[in-house]
Amino acid sequence: MIAARPFRTNLAGVTLAQVAALVAPSVVTGLADPVGYALVLATALLTVWFWEGLFAAVRKRSPGGHGITTALIVSILAPSDHALWQLALALSLGVVLAELVFGGRGFGFLSPAVVAASLLVFSFPEVALVPSTTNVAIATIPGAVLLLFLGLISWRVLLSTAVGTATFLVLTVDVLDAPTVAAAIAFCLVFLVCDPTAASATNPGRWIYGLLAGGLIVLFSGDPIPSTEGIVFAALIASIFAPLIDHLVVLAYAKRWKIADA
Amino acid sequence: MHYTIRQGHWPSDVAAPVQAVDDIRLPETAAVVGADFPGLRPAFAVEHGDEVAAGQVLFTDRKHSQIAHVAPCAGTVTQIEYGPRRTLSACVIKRAARTTPRESMPLDDSTDASVRDVLQSRGMWPALRTRPFGRTPAPDARPDAIFVNAVHGTGAADPAPVLQTQTEIFAKGAAVLTMLTDGLVHICQSKGAPLCPITNRIRVATFGGTMAAALAGTHIDRVYPVQSGRQVWTIGYQDVIAIGYLFVTGQYSADRVVAISGPLVKSPKPVQTILGARIADIAADNMIGGANPVFRSGAPQGGREAMFLGRFDTQITAAARATSKAQAARRSWFSTTQDALIPTASLERAIAPRVLPVPLMRALSVGDSETARRLGCLALIEEDVAILSRLCTSGADYGVLLRQVLDELMEDAA
Repeated sequence: MIAARPFRTNLAGVTLAQVAALVAPSVVTGLADPVGYALVLATALLTVWFWEGLFAAVRKRSPGGHGITTALIVSILAPSDHALWQLALALSLGVVLAELVFGGRGFGFLSPAVVAASLLVFSFPEVALVPSTTNVAIATIPGAVLLLFLGLISWRVLLSTAVGTATFLVLTVDVLDAPTVAAAIAFCLVFLVCDPTAASATNPGRWIYGLLAGGLIVLFSGDPIPSTEGIVFAALIASIFAPLIDHLVVLAYAKRWKIADA
Repeated sequence: MHYTIRQGHWPSDVAAPVQAVDDIRLPETAAVVGADFPGLRPAFAVEHGDEVAAGQVLFTDRKHSQIAHVAPCAGTVTQIEYGPRRTLSACVIKRAARTTPRESMPLDDSTDASVRDVLQSRGMWPALRTRPFGRTPAPDARPDAIFVNAVHGTGAADPAPVLQTQTEIFAKGAAVLTMLTDGLVHICQSKGAPLCPITNRIRVATFGGTMAAALAGTHIDRVYPVQSGRQVWTIGYQDVIAIGYLFVTGQYSADRVVAISGPLVKSPKPVQTILGARIADIAADNMIGGANPVFRSGAPQGGREAMFLGRFDTQITAAARATSKAQAARRSWFSTTQDALIPTASLERAIAPRVLPVPLMRALSVGDSETARRLGCLALIEEDVAILSRLCTSGADYGVLLRQVLDELMEDAA
């Protein structure tokens, strides 16, 4: 166990760490289709920064630029061969509804990238999110290690989601192709399911949240190999339940003192 | 019983001061400061310009006239300042070199009433603090246990050498404390020989591990949690010595061993001084040349900027003043815009009492006292949550937020 020394953090540092973790997967995705990726990324960045700037101007605050992580995640998930206005529309709704109306990064209870990707798929049925490749999964690993070390993702959520997915897959399919499944879920697991603002915020809650997310991944994919859409929806539903899970944990926790009293 | 505390900040970057206490520094002025007793409204027994002796009553608590606050040293009252709503801001005394020797006369400690009367009228009662709430106990309250904090905190003076020559007086003080409670007196100390003989009313618990091991909140949580409606009292080991001294000799002792450390200090070391000492007086000649430090009274993490040594503090940190404009601007920017709380793993490991940190921080941020109570905030005071303010991305001061919630809960309880 690393006795990591707690250090002073601020929101800019959190965003910086998340961007650093996203660099490798972004580069891998970009190399596969440089022009298409560049267009998607440019659209995504312009969209999130436009809304952040607008909200900052209305609220008379300096813009934080935290939307860059949302843009990077979505441009890895979004296909590059579809109309860019669809992406811009979904991303606008995602960023505004999941983040900016609540007051900015960290105040909402959903991951804006998850909401944007879900809306993209809901609104435009012909759009299919990009299935994760082995290369992207491998490129995710250093970032995941960095985020784990900084405490920005929880190993409890990582482990329990993996356990949940594996358990439900074993129950539903005949042959479990573990490496392929791991490659398919790695990126979304680290950057969507484990998002610290969307996941549960208590340790017991994190186990329940991860198991729930893992089960939903299998349920929504309906396939031996989880689909990106399935993981995105699972992350969405699980993070909607996260505050409830935390609330129940708090209630169970308060019982302890009453029992101790009696 | 030994408890190893794993949550919190591992002491690694604070140089341990040299442990021999060979230095007596008496300040020019000393003060009783209102910030140590929030909400205390004084009824003064002295006036501006009066000569006072050490241990003479300066003022009493207007709510409980039995509880007296006394002068830490002989001298002249030079300043009496009120805060908002006639609360105490500070009562400053200019120390006189003269000492008035008084004959030694043991005091009566045979009954609960006589012990209370002595502690309250002779100025030792404010050394006690209640948990929950962290306030001076009511004159007739009876706690379920009393916790003496003698753990060697990081950067603080080691209690063992301080106690070495005064073990009997310390044991006397602990014995006096047993009169105040029906429960046990817990001496919480670092690993080593017991600082006090164990009796059927006095127990010794040892604590080690992170810096959180030196906080009374941690001791209470591990030994005798208070969330379920109990009340315990806490006191520092040097105050137990003073109580013992008071009952053995009949004289008030304001002696205090304080560790001076921080980046601007030449050589971190413990010095012997008195309660409420003006920090600049006792620390000035130990500063690196030309330094213009900000002094913080209290543990490096939880201390507050102060002119005088806090009533409950045994540590002074000298830190650099934010001089550059950019630094000042950045600080003011951080204080005006409040960011969100990102639940990171370091928050989970930050505090030792068994509470759920992130839900508690959220409840405190919105002032939800009922949820905060359910989450166990009654076990905590400002010093316990100071580390959360440092680690949290929001920049909120959880000590202040916790105090507001505790005040609200205290009003409900009354």
